[in-house]
Amino acid sequence: MNILKLIRSSSVLGAVGALTVLLFGGWSGAVIGWLLGTGMGYMSSQTKLIANPKTGAQIGGTAGLGLGIWLLVASLLEGLLLLPLSGRPAIPFGTALLFGLAGLGLAVLSAVLMAAFQGLANPAQKQATRLTLAFVLLIFPFADQIAQTGWIATVIQIQIFAILALGLNIPVGYAGLLDLGYAAFFAIGAYTTGMLSSAHLGIEWNFWIVIWIAAAVAAIAGIILGAPTLPLRGDYLAIVTLGFGEIIPIVFRNLTEIKITEPISSLLATLLNRPELAICLVGCTEPFNLTNGETGINPIGRPSLPIVGTFGTSPFPWYYLVLLLVVFSMFMIGRLRDSRLGRAWAAIREDELAASAMGINRVSTKLLAFAMGATFSGFAGAFYAAYITAIFPSVFDFSVSVIILCMVILGGLGNMTGVLLGCIIIMAADRLYLPKLAEVLKGILNTSVLPNISSPALRDFITTSLDPIQMRLFLFGLVLVIMMIVRPEGLVPSAQRRAELHEPDPAANDSLADVRSAG
Amino acid sequence: MKQWQRIVLYVMVGYFILLLGPVAGLDLPRIVKDISQSPSLLITQLLVGLINGAIIAVIALGYTLVYGIIELINFAHGDLYMLGGFAALTVMGAFGVQDGAPFITSILPMLAALLVAAGFCAGLNVLTERYAYRPLRNAPRLAPLISAIGMSFIFQNLGLFWGGLRSFIPIMGNTAAAPKSFPDLLPRNDILEAIGIESKVDFTVKDLVVLVVAVVLMVALNLFVQRTPAGKAMRAVAQNRDAAKIVGINVDQIIVLTFLIGGALAGSAGLLVGLYNNTIVFTMGFTAGLRAFTAAVLGGIGNITGAMLGGVLIGLLSALSDQYLSSRWTDAWVFGVLVLILVFRPSGLLGENLQEKV
Repeated sequence: MNILKLIRSSSVLGAVGALTVLLFGGWSGAVIGWLLGTGMGYMSSQTKLIANPKTGAQIGGTAGLGLGIWLLVASLLEGLLLLPLSGRPAIPFGTALLFGLAGLGLAVLSAVLMAAFQGLANPAQKQATRLTLAFVLLIFPFADQIAQTGWIATVIQIQIFAILALGLNIPVGYAGLLDLGYAAFFAIGAYTTGMLSSAHLGIEWNFWIVIWIAAAVAAIAGIILGAPTLPLRGDYLAIVTLGFGEIIPIVFRNLTEIKITEPISSLLATLLNRPELAICLVGCTEPFNLTNGETGINPIGRPSLPIVGTFGTSPFPWYYLVLLLVVFSMFMIGRLRDSRLGRAWAAIREDELAASAMGINRVSTKLLAFAMGATFSGFAGAFYAAYITAIFPSVFDFSVSVIILCMVILGGLGNMTGVLLGCIIIMAADRLYLPKLAEVLKGILNTSVLPNISSPALRDFITTSLDPIQMRLFLFGLVLVIMMIVRPEGLVPSAQRRAELHEPDPAANDSLADVRSAG
Repeated sequence: MKQWQRIVLYVMVGYFILLLGPVAGLDLPRIVKDISQSPSLLITQLLVGLINGAIIAVIALGYTLVYGIIELINFAHGDLYMLGGFAALTVMGAFGVQDGAPFITSILPMLAALLVAAGFCAGLNVLTERYAYRPLRNAPRLAPLISAIGMSFIFQNLGLFWGGLRSFIPIMGNTAAAPKSFPDLLPRNDILEAIGIESKVDFTVKDLVVLVVAVVLMVALNLFVQRTPAGKAMRAVAQNRDAAKIVGINVDQIIVLTFLIGGALAGSAGLLVGLYNNTIVFTMGFTAGLRAFTAAVLGGIGNITGAMLGGVLIGLLSALSDQYLSSRWTDAWVFGVLVLILVFRPSGLLGENLQEKV
């Protein structure tokens, strides 16, 4: 029965919503009810064909009600039970009920609306869905401000990583080239912006120019770093990209005292014992400091627009700028995927030799996959540098590459919706839920648990080791392992991938070692 | 390419290395001057490199064994070795040995630490194989690699958690993420002086013990693989898994055995590095793992002698780079070597020449 499916899907989203309410409290239930209700209205109408808006509204209404009940119960629990447990004053029953009912109402309303749109005739249905989505995205900062949830900074970070994940999806998902050093391109984009629009080198160009330069530099870096990997396949390719990913941050960390002298003349100078003969090229009077090492480049210039003025601490202009970048990336990548080049990528991914036999140029196709992937990380890097206004080499280490890879794999290789979903899940869990969970847990432990424990060793253990933030690497690792075993195609797989991954294909297991044994 | 074109290319590459090398510490005239001024420093560094290289070689064997059998880059191996160090430190803490305890009384804790670390890592490695890699044996090649990366993160986090258990294991110190100091148990008496050779170079008992243990492990492994029936079966599985199955070899058992041996070697290396460097930290597995993997690839992955040779070469490279190039750039040089080998000679120094399979 579809209703069973509906209840099941409502239980997943409902649990997410309830968790949100339990952690954040207040009007967060209303905001999350609005967001999840819209999503649920869309999802509930995917299970079967909906004839007209009225049936759609009915289905959406039931689904929204399921979600709303989760939210209502969670609101009451949070306000009356969890707050006093974690050492904060409880709120009156009426207020908690108000928060819960607001969540319930918004969930039902948005689910009904969205599901009703799905019942429209075809072109109108698509337009209405898109308009609703655009409306949600455009209105979100205001809703966040009114409800005082304070999620906007995290949402901006989620969007930065969404661009990165979409970019990584090109080499990994479309062209099948596992890139373990993707953060290097992010770093290159960010450092290009840092160098070209800060007082550090005395070059302070406009952000709107620099972001294009950063993307171009990242693309060129993609070609330069991609070129040596062309003859490699599979895991060897992955390790070489990982090597580059490790080298680039080291280079940025250490390019602080550059002094270059022309080698032949300096050799002559040493041999003839006449130091004035050596021709000095860079950093003659004092060593040239390009990247400022561990302290990084700070501050970096912010973008400015005629009416808005210079982007400052208000998150609104940043939010709309990065939203624009995400939409632009999605549009461009979607066009690339469906182009001749995109089909060439798919062919290379499926069987490189067959593809080249069919006349696909392996070199340019692979290099373009790296370059295109790098371009978008260049955009993300430029935005990141301007948004944070400071960059350090330690931001771009291996774990960042793996987190981005996690998003792509969790969501579904080669599928943009899936990648975005993976990005939202991982970033929200990492940046929003885990820190808040740590805070709430600490409150609960301090007020309700610790005073009842007599053993000092156990008490010390609980205060130091039970910290969800310390568990984030563990969670990422677990996501990777479990996804690989249970659902290697991701949460929202592309149809092609799903077919591939559930049928063991001996030809996909070629490796250098097989070749050795085969002679 | 014609002969003269190739020569021009080489000259240009050489010129660029001379031009840009000094930025990353490769300043040849200065290096020559440094070496000629104090040759004994060079020998000391070679010795340090040799011993670190021996430890790297022990880790590299784990990579090479696993890759030889199931063609998986066991990314979690470096972090397994880190956990071996933590297990050894925990045993030391249980025995309550302190810095500079008499050598005779600390032999028992060291042996116990060796056994526990090796056994712990072997068991953990077998469990990992069973639950994280075996379900993926017939999946596309990248699936087990990604799973291994996931295991590496899990192990690293486990190390962080373990390091924070100060309430139960006091030797872990106050902060979870801080480097742990490992008791300094091996005496630093200079052997060369004891046998009457006067030199500026120190070769201590500590160096000797670490070197001997590493070499014994490597020789034992080599004998095991070359001389015993189980070793023969391992080689057979590495050569052709299906044919091995046909002649009645239990392939699953052999794979478990490989992980068992690799894990035991990683655990022993964890103890050795703790005894030699006297400090362990939960992040050390990643870099050490990459160095060991570089060593395995340098020697020719799947080749046991190659892994040993590669380990020693990488150890020497990093020791010399620390001294003569710049310690800040050492990792970049090591990874640079990794990239160069994979790109220009993926079969490594001792590996056979590989051709692309159609």
